[in-house]
Amino acid sequence: MQFTLVVYGAPHASEGAATALRFARAVLQAGHGIYRVFFYGDGIHNGSALAAPPQDEQDLLAQWQELEQAYNLDLTLCIAAAQRRGVLSTSEAKRLEKPGSNMATGFELAGLGQLAEAAALSDRVVTFGG
Amino acid sequence: MAQAKSILAICRHAPYGNSLAREGLEAVLACAAMDQIPEVLLINDGVFLLLEQDAQQIGEKNLRRNLTALPMFGVETLHLCERSLRERGIDPAQLSLPGAELKLLQNPGAFIAGFDQVLSF
Repeated sequence: MQFTLVVYGAPHASEGAATALRFARAVLQAGHGIYRVFFYGDGIHNGSALAAPPQDEQDLLAQWQELEQAYNLDLTLCIAAAQRRGVLSTSEAKRLEKPGSNMATGFELAGLGQLAEAAALSDRVVTFGG
Repeated sequence: MAQAKSILAICRHAPYGNSLAREGLEAVLACAAMDQIPEVLLINDGVFLLLEQDAQQIGEKNLRRNLTALPMFGVETLHLCERSLRERGIDPAQLSLPGAELKLLQNPGAFIAGFDQVLSF
């Protein structure tokens, strides 16, 4: 079965962020597919390369990146939500004339159309946080 | 795009209190623009979206205006949870949206269960 995960929870703010990660891992280990993980609203903070949690706290970003490497996951940040909150790719930072970029490796920016497409092409859409 | 799936967008948040109120409506418009026209259900504090708003007072853009754009994108019915309205003292007779029909739902659970996909905002 193909799943799409929609994540509204920001790491270290909402349990939804960590739950989404564990759900993604469980789905993949059970042999299902993940069509896309779409980060929306405050969930786009999951794609910030600058988060530096204390060593004795879980590092969600590193775990998303591991999963992305292992399963070639599609980790998409909504571009409008990310711009509002300040998660920018190198090219977006340049285009918007901002002093730095911070989008983590393994993530990409895309429009809301990617959410509509994922809803149309997945068997299940599961929402986390919000 | 692929085979048509029935999609329900649920708006649960009051305008301005949570960014999902705005971003949910933006997602509904994006889906509709891609010919994935969702049905829309306002439930819990989401029913407040329909009330007249003076958002300038708090330096925000009026969210009801996003709602009024929905019929132009093919969303011609808004489903309203009757219980949510009653709990908040909102008289359905005072509600309207140009170009859209407002339908009261007595049993939102059964309604939600009838869709292939649910996007919850």
